[in-house]
Amino acid sequence: MNWNWEQARIAIVTVLLALIPPVLFMNSYVSRLFTLIIIFAVMAMALNIVFGHTDQLFLFSGALMGTGSYTTVLLAQWLGITPWISLLAGALLAGFVGALVCYVATRQNLSVLVIAILTLALQLAFIQFVSGASSITGGSTGQVFVGFGLEGIADSIPGPELTILYYIVLTVFVATMLVYYYITHSKYGLAFDALRQDELAAESVGIDVVRYKTIAGFTAAFIIGFIGPFYVQMNTYIQPSIFGFGSIDVLVLIMLILGSLRTLLGPLVGSVILLYVNQQLQSAGQWSTVILGLLLMFLFLFFRQGIVTYVSTLIEERTDIGERIRSLGSS
Amino acid sequence: MAQILAASTLEILVDGLARGVLFALLGLGITLVFGLGGVLNLAIGVFAVMAVLATVTLLGIVNSIVAAIIGGLLVILLIALVVDRTLFSLVYQSEGSERELLGIFVTLGLATFLDGLLYMHFPSGYSIPWRVGAINVGGLVFQSSSLLIIGVGIVLFIAFYAFLERTYLGSATRTVMQDETGALLCGINPRRIRTLVFLLSVLIAGIAGMLYSIAYTINVSAEFTLGIYAVLVSVVGGVTNVTGTIAAGLFLGVLFTFSNAWIGSFVANIIVFLVTVAVLITKAEVVSA
Repeated sequence: MNWNWEQARIAIVTVLLALIPPVLFMNSYVSRLFTLIIIFAVMAMALNIVFGHTDQLFLFSGALMGTGSYTTVLLAQWLGITPWISLLAGALLAGFVGALVCYVATRQNLSVLVIAILTLALQLAFIQFVSGASSITGGSTGQVFVGFGLEGIADSIPGPELTILYYIVLTVFVATMLVYYYITHSKYGLAFDALRQDELAAESVGIDVVRYKTIAGFTAAFIIGFIGPFYVQMNTYIQPSIFGFGSIDVLVLIMLILGSLRTLLGPLVGSVILLYVNQQLQSAGQWSTVILGLLLMFLFLFFRQGIVTYVSTLIEERTDIGERIRSLGSS
Repeated sequence: MAQILAASTLEILVDGLARGVLFALLGLGITLVFGLGGVLNLAIGVFAVMAVLATVTLLGIVNSIVAAIIGGLLVILLIALVVDRTLFSLVYQSEGSERELLGIFVTLGLATFLDGLLYMHFPSGYSIPWRVGAINVGGLVFQSSSLLIIGVGIVLFIAFYAFLERTYLGSATRTVMQDETGALLCGINPRRIRTLVFLLSVLIAGIAGMLYSIAYTINVSAEFTLGIYAVLVSVVGGVTNVTGTIAAGLFLGVLFTFSNAWIGSFVANIIVFLVTVAVLITKAEVVSA
C-alpha cells in the first residue's frame, strides 16, 4: 500500500491516542481529561469543516450538541429503545438543522457576520427552550443519563471506568479525521477552496455553491450531534447548562484557532493544549475565565495562523535552508 | 372584565416601553460603533454592568447619588478610552469582513476577560437605590421606575438626534457612516470620530445599565444577556440604521414584556430570538448593507 504523509499522520495519531489508556489512565481525573480532549477535538474538527473550509461561522455548536443529545436521551426513554439507535436519529436531526441553516443562509446571501448572529440567536433560543420545557427535558435541573450500557463491558476490562468510553470517542475521532481527509482530497475540497476564494467565480465555473455549503453544514452538524450523547455519558447527567455558549462554543473556537484552521491536526492540538491549561486553572477559579478572555484576544490579534501552521512553516523553512546549503556545497 | 384587561394591558405596555427604551439604548451602542468602524462590540453589556458596579462602589464612598453616577460614568469612559487606544486600534488595522470577524472575537474575549475580573470583586446582585414604588394614576398602577426610564429615554433620544443633526461632530459622524473615503477627503479624521463615538456608545450603554438596575438587580452574568439583546436589537434595526435601531428596541421590548406577562419568561426569550432569526433571514440585504 502506498501511503502518503497525511495518511501516515492519521495512522500515527490513532496509534498514539490508542496507547494513552494503558499508559496514562492512572486515575479518573486523568482519564476524564483525555476523554474530554478527544470529544472537544471532534467538535473542533467539525467546526473546522464548516467554518474553516466554507467560511460559515457556527456559533451554535452547543445547541447542535444539545439537539443530538436530547433527541438521543428522550427517544430512548419514550420508545424504550437502546440509545445506540436513537443516537443516529439525534445526529441526523442536528445535521438537518445545520444543513437548513446553511441552505437558507446561502440562498439569502447572508454574510458571515449575519450567520454568526443568527446561529447565536438559535443557540440562546435552544437553551431557553430546553430549560423551559421542563416536563419533557427535566428543565435546568436535568436528569441522569448513563444509557449506553457500558458498565458490563467496563467490568471485564482493566483500568478506570472511562476507558471504554475513551475508545468509543476515539473511534468517532478517527472516523472524523478520515472524513476530513476524504473531503480535503476529493472534489469537495476543491469546491470548498474555490467558493471560499470567490463565490461568484466558483458559481460561474459550474460549482453549485448552495449544495456544497449545505453539505458542509450537514456534515459538521451531524458530527457535533453524534458526539453529544457521549459527552452526556461522560457527565452522567444531561442539563441545559452543559451546552451553553460559554461552556462549548467559546472553547471550541479558541481550540480551532489555537491549533490552526484548515489543518488535519490543528483541532486535536488545540484541544489538548486548551483543556490541559483549563484543567490546571480550575483551582484558580475566576482566573481561568480571565485567562480564557486574554487568550481569545491574543490569538485573534496576533496568532491567527495557529500552532500547526506555524510549526509546519518553521519546518519547511528549515528544510529549505538545509537544501540550499547542500546545493551550495555541491556547486 | 374587559375594562380590567384593558387597564392591565396599558400597565404592561408602559413596562414594555420602558424595557424597549433600555433595549434601544443598548442597541444604539452597537449600531453606532458598527456603523462607523465595522466592529460589533459584544462587550457593550460589560460596560453597562461596570457603570452600575462603579456607581454602587462610589456610593459607599461619597454621599451624593449624582456624584456617584457621574463618577461611575467617568470610570467606564476611562476604561473605554484605554480599550479604544489599545484593542480597537489593533482591530482597525484589518479591513472589511476580516475586521468584522476580528471585532466579534476580540470583543468577546474582552467581555470574558472583564467578566472574570469583575466576578472576583462583585459576586452578588447590585442595584442603584430607587425607593419610589408604584404610582397610582386614575386607577392604573404604574411602576415609577418604568416611568423614569421612559422619561430619561425620551430626553436621551432627543439629545442624541440633536447631536447627530445639529453639531459638527454629529454631521462628521454621519458622513463617516455613509462614506469613509469621502469623509477623509472633507478633512474628517475617521479614527478620531470612531474614538469619540465609541465613548459616546459606552456612555449611552452605561446610562442604560444604571436605568436597568433601578428596575432589576444586576449581577455580572447579566452582562452577557444585555450584550446579546443589544446585538439582536441592532441587527433587527438594520445594524447601521439609528432610527431603525430605536424602533426595533421599542418593538422587541414591548413584544418581550407582553409575552412575558401573558405566556412566560422562557417563551418570551424564545419569541424574541426567533423574531430576530426571521428578520435576519427575510431582510438580509438590509442587514448586510
